[in-house]
Amino acid sequence: MSDQLVQILEGNTFVVSDNRGDIEASETDPTGLFSFDTRFLSRWVLTINGQRLTALSTDDLQYFQARFFLVPGSGTVYVDATLSVKRERDVAHDGFHEDLRVLNHENQPVDLDIRIEAASDFADLFEVKDALKKKGSYQARIVGNSLVLGYRRDTYERETWISAAAPAAVDETGLSFRVTVPPHGEWSTGLDIVAAANAADEHADEPVSIRGRGRREVHRDMARGLAKWLERAPTVECDWKAVERVYRRCMTDLAALRFSTLTMPGRALPAAGLPWFMTIFGRDSIFTSLQALPFTSELASTTLLALAERQGTTIDDFRDEDPGRILHEMRYGELTAFEERPHSPYYGNADATALFVVLLDEYERWTGDTKLVHDLQHAARAALAWINEYADLQGNGYVSYQTRNAESGLENQCWKDSWDSISYRNGDLPGFPRATCELQGYAYDAKIRGARLARQVWKDPGYADHLEKEAADLKRRFNRDFWVADGEYFAVALDSDGRQVDSLTSNIGHLLWSGIVEKSKARAIARHLVGPRLFSGWGVRTLAEGEARYNPIGYHVGTVWPFDNSFIAWGLRRYGFKQEAACVVAGIMAAAEVFDGRLPEAFGGYPRSSTGYPVQYPTACSPQAWSTGAPLLLLRAGLGLEPDGDHLIVDPALPLNFGHFEILDVPGRWKKIDVCGRGHIDTDRVTQAR
Amino acid sequence: MSPTQTRSAPTEAGPISQFFDDLTQPGHLATLESERATLRFDVRDGSSVQRWHVTVQDGDVAVTHQNAPADAVVTIDRPHFEAIVGGRLNATAALLRGLLTCDGSVAAVMMFQRCLPGPPGSTGRVAPITSQTVMAKHDPSQRRPA
Repeated sequence: MSDQLVQILEGNTFVVSDNRGDIEASETDPTGLFSFDTRFLSRWVLTINGQRLTALSTDDLQYFQARFFLVPGSGTVYVDATLSVKRERDVAHDGFHEDLRVLNHENQPVDLDIRIEAASDFADLFEVKDALKKKGSYQARIVGNSLVLGYRRDTYERETWISAAAPAAVDETGLSFRVTVPPHGEWSTGLDIVAAANAADEHADEPVSIRGRGRREVHRDMARGLAKWLERAPTVECDWKAVERVYRRCMTDLAALRFSTLTMPGRALPAAGLPWFMTIFGRDSIFTSLQALPFTSELASTTLLALAERQGTTIDDFRDEDPGRILHEMRYGELTAFEERPHSPYYGNADATALFVVLLDEYERWTGDTKLVHDLQHAARAALAWINEYADLQGNGYVSYQTRNAESGLENQCWKDSWDSISYRNGDLPGFPRATCELQGYAYDAKIRGARLARQVWKDPGYADHLEKEAADLKRRFNRDFWVADGEYFAVALDSDGRQVDSLTSNIGHLLWSGIVEKSKARAIARHLVGPRLFSGWGVRTLAEGEARYNPIGYHVGTVWPFDNSFIAWGLRRYGFKQEAACVVAGIMAAAEVFDGRLPEAFGGYPRSSTGYPVQYPTACSPQAWSTGAPLLLLRAGLGLEPDGDHLIVDPALPLNFGHFEILDVPGRWKKIDVCGRGHIDTDRVTQAR
Repeated sequence: MSPTQTRSAPTEAGPISQFFDDLTQPGHLATLESERATLRFDVRDGSSVQRWHVTVQDGDVAVTHQNAPADAVVTIDRPHFEAIVGGRLNATAALLRGLLTCDGSVAAVMMFQRCLPGPPGSTGRVAPITSQTVMAKHDPSQRRPA
């Protein structure tokens, strides 16, 4: 088994194999063909005359396409190949197609026994993660030239249809081809693998695809779709060539991260991460849509529609659902189907509901699409009502969270969702409910932006006044109750007794973004953000050096998150801290250059001078949507782009090394506009000094 | 099953009829504003099928027993649908599990889900947890005997 995994995907269907194209999954090994959060193939192994193959080269041509050049033998030292094998694989929305070619390089014919072993464990993604046992039963049957693998638990049925174009001897564990390949000739076959759900009839001779629609047609759509996506995107030109490369990488990765729900097949929203988080996440989809707005607004409108469609309507403790709440995560696997997991969808987050309103307003400011704002009026009002009626768990006027599902709910319902992310200076963990600071910022921003929409679009000035009054009151109380006087920053949270959870964190940057910080306190916040305890030289750490739980490679307790930094840069610009914002832009863009344009979810918080390069935090998902979106928002922050009525304000504060920088054809209510700036801020003093 | 083989069960008081009666009582549902869709629920009870045809137009809801075409035709056994309208079974879970099949628009079914009640036992409340309890759960050092 090779270490190097190859993954290709389309929406929430993806194939992870080794570099030979083979799949040999174990219960906990995350390889296979997955669709709708279910593994449809856990074994897919090619042999020729009983021999495994060795990869000479592997290319992932597009995010949905891979090619493997192979030769027979285990290839320990030297391969004397008289045969070569080419596997070309295209993933589609409900499975994959593989073209298998065997080339004979000898001057005489050769008899071959070509075999593909296939099996499926039909594991739910959650089962792969937690190594759980299956409760249903397996079947395999042969239908003509196809092998059909099946799984059934009560009325829950999933099937994998494997069909070959060339005549095959099909048995319950695979397909065999006994062929003679002429001298210098070749043999080939197409193989089609279809993931099917709840086959209506066990005597059916065709799969009922989990999605519907002809596959070839979809594939043409994909290739065309990607080309169109890239063509429609604005062009970035920069003297610092790395910026152009990073931008191209981001737009291509964003294309791969596009995901269509069953209810809106023609539209795309950003899924959270590839491949394990190819689903709607309220928070991730909203943040990524916000980041991408200056470059594309399609992701935002689809995200808003999809989230509104599934907005909470009732009180459901298992799913942490309340009326008006925006979902956290949607899943389609067996455990969700049997309500053993709450993801149909699960609502356990305390930020996405306010952020939904923030995105709706920001989207309108860029696009002028008041129709969507009208269509989503009820959803936006319900979201704003949730903040007051359901999120104030302690009756103290602050948004708090605590899961009502002790077994499978989420403890930390903010973006820092790991168990130790919220702590006091001494490392103690607070009880629940918790009111983290950024949630109050988002709530404030949602009220202010909701008021603007109410006044300008819904024509309800009374409601607008009411929201603004609430926002002003929240801001006044927040600046009093969260302010840590001896450190001159805002506490990361209030605990269940209303006491300050007093550690210094990157969350204070989100407060600048939301606008909840009083002007008199903003200078101190900006100083901390680029100060030695938080700023590593590459970016702002999640938790400041000196706090008891600080760990430069701790998930939310010291690493640097590019997404976090992009919103911090935007926040710094909002309060006029150009110098500080440019330092964050310079640091993260330099890291992006090192990572070849693809920023990881997080990297180590070591001081820049001590490692010389950013140390990647090991995560299973890459690219991650909001890391992919981070450079886009950083470019916006660098140029100081702000829509103002039908105009786009440009107020550059770019690091010196950018030189001349421009974005051509920025789309928006002004149709298309070119914007440019010149780097003039010396950021080295801060970024290189750490 | 062809239409000639089915017979409409007589309308009777039951949780499903009650649910649809309650749905049309207010006549207008704010949560369905700016929505337009038709759904037909074919509820199987042994050999008989009872139908409810729902029309949603900008929040106005009308229900009949007509066997008319709809954007989404939902087929389900009576006990399962009773569980859904009673909040004991989640409709999306039922769809994924194959208890409920939808012919046509999944979006219409998703929209209709907004009319369904939550689980009977859900209160929206939970007892606070102290810092000590959280520490004991997560921090191995706290579990060590002194």
